[in-house]
Amino acid sequence: MAVTDVARKKRRIALGCEGSANKLGIGVILHEGDPANPKSTVLSNVRHTFVSPPGTGFLPKDTAHHHRAFFVRVARQALADAGVGLDEIDCVCYTRGPGMGAPLTSVAVAARTLALLWGKPLVGVNHCVGHIEMGRAITGADHPVVLYVSGGNTQVIAYAEQRYRIFGETLDIAVGNCLDRFARALAISNDPAPGYNIEQLAKQGGRVLLDLPYAVKGMDCSFSGILTRAEELAAQMKAGGGKGPDGEPFTGADLCFSLQETVFAMLVEITERAMAHVGSNQVLIVGGVGCNERLQEMMGLMAADRGGSVYATDERFCIDNGIMIAHAGLLAYETGFSTPVEDSTCTQRFRTDEVLVKWRK
Amino acid sequence: MATDTSSGFPCALTLNVPFPDARLASVALQALRVDKELSLLVKRDLSAVAAEGSSDPTVLRVEYKAATNRMLRVAVNSCLDSLALVLEVQEELDVDAVEKRRAQGKSR
Repeated sequence: MAVTDVARKKRRIALGCEGSANKLGIGVILHEGDPANPKSTVLSNVRHTFVSPPGTGFLPKDTAHHHRAFFVRVARQALADAGVGLDEIDCVCYTRGPGMGAPLTSVAVAARTLALLWGKPLVGVNHCVGHIEMGRAITGADHPVVLYVSGGNTQVIAYAEQRYRIFGETLDIAVGNCLDRFARALAISNDPAPGYNIEQLAKQGGRVLLDLPYAVKGMDCSFSGILTRAEELAAQMKAGGGKGPDGEPFTGADLCFSLQETVFAMLVEITERAMAHVGSNQVLIVGGVGCNERLQEMMGLMAADRGGSVYATDERFCIDNGIMIAHAGLLAYETGFSTPVEDSTCTQRFRTDEVLVKWRK
Repeated sequence: MATDTSSGFPCALTLNVPFPDARLASVALQALRVDKELSLLVKRDLSAVAAEGSSDPTVLRVEYKAATNRMLRVAVNSCLDSLALVLEVQEELDVDAVEKRRAQGKSR
């Protein structure tokens, strides 16, 4: 790895801006020491989430409007919390993709403006790589298989030769999207997040496991069929008809429980398959769905069976945030990477393995 | 508004946005011109020009041409949303604004 001038500095600081879905996050990170393995300190991590009413999802136009409305407020808070001067900031990082078009662009416009006003280089970051790098930094996991699960993404990833390679993924929708859309069928609140509320409601279930289609296909999985069936059952329940395998009417809690148990078991299976391929017994779970304690528990049981363990971060880092963009962006910047303003577009599709991970061997 | 019926983009609108100085107009220009228009039925041209009686390019000129008035309206509204964001960032997060707040914070 070439040592750039900035990498020689004792303290390197980046501001990161994230807005690919409904969370607007801005954070400031500090790197010290060897750029190949820096000591990372979170100086600030501020987030504001756009929550839509129960029964609805967040649409691109409204989400972009939210991000534009809150950007300055969140940025000011991030700078104040970090307590650093502009002269100490080395670069401005932003999410290039993947994600929703209008929200991504709304944040990019603001990030470009900051970079130009402050005279700092801009660094475009892959959202998935941001999650992975933050997970590695926080947990210290050595050579894990990464399960990246969120409302927008579901991938099983392992690092090999400067790429985060996708071993398995969803063939249709993300697991978080399945959960979020199911929440609408039961008009579950989206505050703080639909998945969180499903998790709490599921804890009241457990009496019965309803039959939902289990769709693992080799290394990959599929969630749209399960969603359709779960929505059908929800409609039956609302019409007063649904009866479980024990002949008793089932509740929303039973549905939430059954859905979680089924989709999480699928994720555990494809993760285990990748672990067997790669010869790893560590699992790092990143992405918003990674906050789910039942998923962590099920994954932990599987990993323990294989003599390994599960690493997960808390909601500050698993839920979309700006600090992961600052961290991954600074890692790239320290290897000499930056994004000229005229090339700082956003893209809805940006494969995790498109990024050359120059900062690792 | 000027029309250009021969080229298929008969609906047009030009905005001249004055900035306090050429630097800020240039920052806005560079930030806004990166993203392409989403529709092929809309054409946009951005430039920094001088105000009347001046030689300093302190005015951001935004020229839109579209196939229909509806497309023109949608595109211009979207541009104005982005422009408003750029202006707010310039006002509150430019170097002088940030340093001033930091100095005030320290003096407490």
